Order: sequence, then C-alpha cells, then structure tokens
Amino acid sequence: MSTPLLNVWEAAASSPFYPPVSKNQQFTFGFLLLLISLVLVTVFSLNRSFINLPIIGVPASLAFGFGAVYMICAVGVYV
Amino acid sequence: MRSTFLFASCVAALSSFASAELNLSQPLLSRQVLPSTFRPPQVFKNANLVRTTNLDKAYPRETINVVIENIDAKPQSKYYLPFESSLLSRVGGLEVRDKKDAEKGSFKVEVVGFDAESSTEFYLIHLPTPLAPKAQQTLSISYSVLSAVVPVPAQIGQSDKQYVQYTFSAYTPSAYLTDKQKTKMKFPNGDVPDYTTLPADLNTEKKADPQKQGSTFTYGPYNNIPAGAEEFVSVRYEFTKPLTHATLLERDLEVSHWGGNLASEERYWLTNQGAQLKNHFSRVEWQKQSYMNPPSSALKNLNLPLHPGAVDPYFTDDIGNVSTSRFRPGKKEALLELKPRYPVFGGWKYSFRVGWNADLNTYLRKLATGDSYVLKVPFLEGPRAGEGIAYARVHLRVILPEGATNVKYSTTVPLVDSTTSVHRTFMDTLGRPTLELHAINIVDEFRERDLIVTYDYPWTAGYRKPIVLALGLFAVFAVSWVLGSIDTSIGKKKKA
Repeated sequence: MSTPLLNVWEAAASSPFYPPVSKNQQFTFGFLLLLISLVLVTVFSLNRSFINLPIIGVPASLAFGFGAVYMICAVGVYV
Repeated sequence: MRSTFLFASCVAALSSFASAELNLSQPLLSRQVLPSTFRPPQVFKNANLVRTTNLDKAYPRETINVVIENIDAKPQSKYYLPFESSLLSRVGGLEVRDKKDAEKGSFKVEVVGFDAESSTEFYLIHLPTPLAPKAQQTLSISYSVLSAVVPVPAQIGQSDKQYVQYTFSAYTPSAYLTDKQKTKMKFPNGDVPDYTTLPADLNTEKKADPQKQGSTFTYGPYNNIPAGAEEFVSVRYEFTKPLTHATLLERDLEVSHWGGNLASEERYWLTNQGAQLKNHFSRVEWQKQSYMNPPSSALKNLNLPLHPGAVDPYFTDDIGNVSTSRFRPGKKEALLELKPRYPVFGGWKYSFRVGWNADLNTYLRKLATGDSYVLKVPFLEGPRAGEGIAYARVHLRVILPEGATNVKYSTTVPLVDSTTSVHRTFMDTLGRPTLELHAINIVDEFRERDLIVTYDYPWTAGYRKPIVLALGLFAVFAVSWVLGSIDTSIGKKKKA
C-alpha cells in the first residue's frame, strides 16, 4: 500500500541523513574544541583587554559552544 | 531522629506505590453521536458470511469475510457493524479491506454511538466507491478482542494446565439480514473439554452443532438470520501460556541531528490475565521444573527483536537495573532477551523500561527540496511472543529536534488521538516539538507497521544550541572585562 508520505520516503532513498561528525569522532572533536576553549580562556584571563574580547573571546566562546554539544553527545546524551 | 527518618522513608515508599498505580480512565475514543432512535437503514444484506475466530493467541482474532449486496434502489456506501458497548471498548485494530482487491488498502472506519445509554454501538465502514443497487462486494473485516478470554477455573496450581473460556455469539452480530453464515473456530490444540452444543434444528444441514475436525470447530451454517440476532455460546480450551496484557505502553523516540542518533525508550505496565495461583508460590517447585521448561501460565521471559544496528540497550524497573537480560546483536536483528525479576503468574503485575540507541541514517532521510527531512520508524517494536501480547493503550512520542516545524505524519495503525506538544530536556532553549500519538487496543501484530513523519528543520535552528552556549560564555568574557576594568583603587589616580 502506498501513501503520499511513503512515496516521499522512497523518493529520498539516495540521501540518508549523516551528521557532520560521526558518532565515533564525537569525543575527539568535543574534547579538542573544549581544550582549545580552555587554552583561550586562560590566555584571556591573563590579559583582559577590550581588543582581546573579539580576538580571543569569540573563538573561545564558539569552541566552547560546539565542543560542549559534541561532548554531551559523546557521553551518551544525544541532544 | 532515627524515627523521623524511618517515618520519612515509609512515606516515600508508600508514595512510590501510589504513583505506580495507573490512572486508567475510559478509552479516548472520539465518536460521532447519533440520536437514540437511530437504526441502520436496511439497505444491505449479507449474502454470505464466514467468520473465522483464531484462538491461537492470548486474544481472539476475528476475520469476517462477507459478501454484501445492496438491496436499496440507490447506490450505498455506509455499512454498519454492531457491537455491544462493553465489547466495543475492547475491540482493537479493526480493519476492513476489499477481499478481492486487498492492495487498495483499508477502508475508512469510524465509531458511532448513541447519546443514550444504549447497549449497541456501531463501527461505520465507508465504502470507497458506493455500491450500485443489486451489486455485490466482498469485505474482509478483521479485528482482535482484548481481555476476552477468562481463565476457568480462576485458580490453578503452579504447574497445572490452564484452561480459558471464550464467550461469543454463534450468529455473527450484524445490522443486516444474513442469508447464509457460519463460524469457524481455530483452537491452539485439540484439548477442548467444554463447549456449548446448539440444537441441530437451528442448523441448516440439521447436523450436530458444532462440527468438530481436529482443533477446528464450526458453528453453522445458519440461514436467514435477522439483523441483531444473537445466540451466545462458550468454549473452554487449554491455553497453558501467559495471557500477557499491557495496560499501558509508553514509547519515546528521540531524534538527534547533532548526535546522529535515534534513541528509543519503552515503558511497559504488564499484567498476566491468566489463572491465579491456588496456593503460595513455591520457589522449590519452580526451580525443580525449570530445567524441563514445561509450558507454564507464568510469564518467564520476553524477547525483543530490535532492528539491526541497535546499541547500548538497558533494562530497568522500579528497583533499578535488572541483570537477567542478554543482548545478541546480529545482522538480521538484534535480539534483546529479558527475564523479569520474577515469573509473572496470573493476576501479577510487572512494570519495567527498556531503551536503546541506533544510528539515525537508516531512519532519517533528507529531502531534495530545502531543509525537509523524512523519518520512518516502527510504530511498535516490543516483545515477540508466540502467545501474543495485547496493549490496552499505546502512547507514542516522537521527539523531534528543537526548531523543527511543519510536522506531518502518516501511519496505517488506527489512532484515537494525536497532538503536538513541547518536550524540554538538556541544552534546550525553547523545547523540542513532540508528536504524540495515542492508540488503544493494539496487539503485537502491529509490530511491522511503520510511522512516517516529515518535518522542516532549517539549518539556522540546528545551530541554536552551540550559539546559545557560545553567547553565554561570551557574556562571561564581557562581564569579566567590564568588572576587571573598574578602578577600585583608593586615593587619587596616579598620572602616567
């Protein structure tokens, strides 16, 4: 029996969903990004200046954001 | 101090008992209500009707193959199927197909009822194309009846055989005149000690009624049975297997795009509707016979065949992890073998939860048009057992990623309700859209039915989690810079 949504499913047969980072790479990725973030936070804390806010703060924040998401996935809480 | 602690722990223990009890209110049937003067218009007649009742499993499965004929002057498309009100609330998975063209799929079926306290209610079957006057069509109506068999005797010894009784009408309930009909019963074995014998003159062929042939009995044939006629008969047969009945199954499916994972969790509230123990449970007797593995009315184990690729299974109950389980991953299926903490005898209950993870790529596909996705998951997984399992209520939740919109679904499982809600969990800002589907009176034969969900998930919604976290940390940087740059020194500022 075919329904419209089943046809949609069949039509998309060639494009299964793969995440950008596979399950067994999540820990490496998450750990690396969190480590980068930690290093940058340390650097910023040693030299808190207005110019360091965008230069160090932005990459450190982004690394922490993505690192935390991958780390929570790596430990089994798939968000 | 100690007595306070003791009192507090007693209260905690009692409250957990109270919360374990379920609030099982009336089924969520949505129905069209008709005035109490309503009688189905006599526009059809059943030219020939054969009902097959299969008693192999813990719930009777009825298949009615009926040739219907339009005896009205106009084309007709509404065929009514009557049930007793008490029976109707236990009928599950009613599906109607065209016997000669089963590929067309099942017809639209709805429940109609009376406003008054009426003993009869109807399933209304909509024929896809109205039947012309004097034309005939063969319908194949199939359904299961839950909680329909009763153990007789109600109490047995621990290793005794179990006998169950099923009561039904020898005349198939119908809202129309039936020219010719018969009922075939298929028993799980030939051990049928008691059954109602009907007088031979009711039978068209004037033979003994029922006719026996091994483990198959036939009531009928009967000619010219008027609408609404009933003739109750009972059969009692051996069924030394558990009558496993899930009063509630909650099933959650959580889709994670970041993790590439489909997390499944099922929570069961099982009860065995079989005969209760006559005496106390004897562990010695149970252990003595456990090596011989004789048929038993107790529920000893449950096998959950999961889809290949399932990983990280868990099996817990109110106490905690249940260690008596085995997981056998395989290429065809990943078998999760569970043994409840205790054998579940008649009248006993057991509630537990199982869960597992799986890679998302076998369940989710991206559509070529924009940021749309299609998800195909089994509606029901659950245990596979020869004697079958009946589910009084199934609550399925599909938790989609945060920011998913335009959620659509399709399934061939008959549903009673569907809603969308918001589920909040780790790292969520607004919560995840959740599709909640409710079904009642489902049996394990629906295991292979799929649920297809489509949704839009723009890439901007996907980046919400890391961006929120990043903004949080950036705020900490900014605050630390602002606070660090405040001059808190005492006295005049030194000029450089």
